[in-house]
Amino acid sequence: MTLILDMLTSAAILFIVATGLLTIFGVLKIINFAHGAWLTVGAYCAVATAHMGLNPWLALPLAFAAGAVLGLLTERFIVRPLYSRPLDAILATWGLGIVIGQLITLWFGRDVQFTANLIPGTVDLLGTTYSAYRLFALVAAIALGLGFSYLMEGTRLGLSARAVIMNETLARALGLDTAKIRTVTFMIGTGLAGLAGVLLTPLTSTDPTMGVAWLVGSFMLVMVAGQSFGALALACLLLGGAQVIVSTYVSPILGGITVAVLAAIILRISPKGFSRA
Amino acid sequence: MNDMSDVKTAKLALDNVTSGYGHVDVIKSLSLDIRRGEIFALMGKNGMGKTTLLKTILGLLPLKKGRILLDGKPTDNLGPKGLVDAHVAYAPQDQPLFQDLTIRDNLRIALRSDRDLNAGFDRVQGHFPFLTDRLGQKAGTLSGGEQKMLIIARSLMMQPDLLLIDEISEGLQPTVIARIADALKTECEANGTTILIVEQHLSFVLGIADRWAVLKLGVIDDSGDIAGDTQDRILEHLRI
Repeated sequence: MTLILDMLTSAAILFIVATGLLTIFGVLKIINFAHGAWLTVGAYCAVATAHMGLNPWLALPLAFAAGAVLGLLTERFIVRPLYSRPLDAILATWGLGIVIGQLITLWFGRDVQFTANLIPGTVDLLGTTYSAYRLFALVAAIALGLGFSYLMEGTRLGLSARAVIMNETLARALGLDTAKIRTVTFMIGTGLAGLAGVLLTPLTSTDPTMGVAWLVGSFMLVMVAGQSFGALALACLLLGGAQVIVSTYVSPILGGITVAVLAAIILRISPKGFSRA
Repeated sequence: MNDMSDVKTAKLALDNVTSGYGHVDVIKSLSLDIRRGEIFALMGKNGMGKTTLLKTILGLLPLKKGRILLDGKPTDNLGPKGLVDAHVAYAPQDQPLFQDLTIRDNLRIALRSDRDLNAGFDRVQGHFPFLTDRLGQKAGTLSGGEQKMLIIARSLMMQPDLLLIDEISEGLQPTVIARIADALKTECEANGTTILIVEQHLSFVLGIADRWAVLKLGVIDDSGDIAGDTQDRILEHLRI
């Protein structure tokens, strides 16, 4: 039972981390390699909140807002001129991620930081004692998935975003403000990265380079998922579950590379991954 | 084809318009006026610049020289969004539908707000009732003729003042063409909609248009009102 819960909650954490990256990739067709940096910014929002003695839950809206505002500036001044040059956009966002990491180091130092658990303790579930926070992460991932489904399927913003994904020229011809849709999408993606950073802090230590490892895993999952959130959930379940199994029964070190290796194999066999697009 | 008084009173006026792709001029110093409430047919062989002209009017291609006036005002900085806000609708020829969206969403996206949705559906139902019966069906699963009717229906959702249509009759059976022609004529007569239709289907044009022009290598080669000799004159230009 513990193993199953570990698999589910690991998949949930991966989903939370990768959602922002997929949001941007799905609409804007670029991989935001600064994703790990926004995630780190979010984690340091939790650190700052703790240092200031504020309610730790305040870090969640603060991190989303910080990520969204920084995303707005990034989209406007760095990414927007590079939409027609996706490789340059990757390089630019990668460079931006390095700059942000250095700025965080300047501000907070290189030391590893720890924050209080948002939901400490354990709960008994079907005869198993399990981390309350990891179960919360599972609920958060499901809520995120449902929220995104509603956003995409039930709102005009979602309809506009889907139209831009499918045929941007036609969307423009029908009078959609595609530039605004891109900006809002980028802000949501970077805001979600910040949110993910806060949600990770009870599970991992916080340092200026923490985003890099999560970026690699998220990138591979998004490549496997294509542009579909359903496919992302499936990829997180399968690859995240495999990661837990390998870590538990083989080696935690090999477990750390399981997602990347399996993603590479899946993409070798099926270049479109799990996406039907 | 226009003088200054036409430019001021026309619904849409093109004044010495030059446009194209990169350094290549496809439309060359073209002048044309479309009167309020008329159906104007722009004809011509493939590659003569018909679609390029529509894209230039809509702001999808940059205007290199000249002016485009909508209700007497330059459209310079409006872009597609500004023109749609000014009730200009466009029915494109290439990739004209969101294939994976439902009929409902393909119609819905033409509107700025869902508040106008029911009124839009009512308008569409009058012309193409099958669409509102199958709102949940994906557009990509419709037949070719049904897709063309959905394109026109989407254009009519916003009750446009000016409708730009690109070769809607291509590959359609006569009954579907007749339904589309009926819808366009009704819209024109009932709401005073001005329609600029790019076409190669001569009998369709003769059945609905008030005036016509033939585009040849980016310039107007001939034009006139629909009259007894129109068919022969246009055929002369379209002959390969």
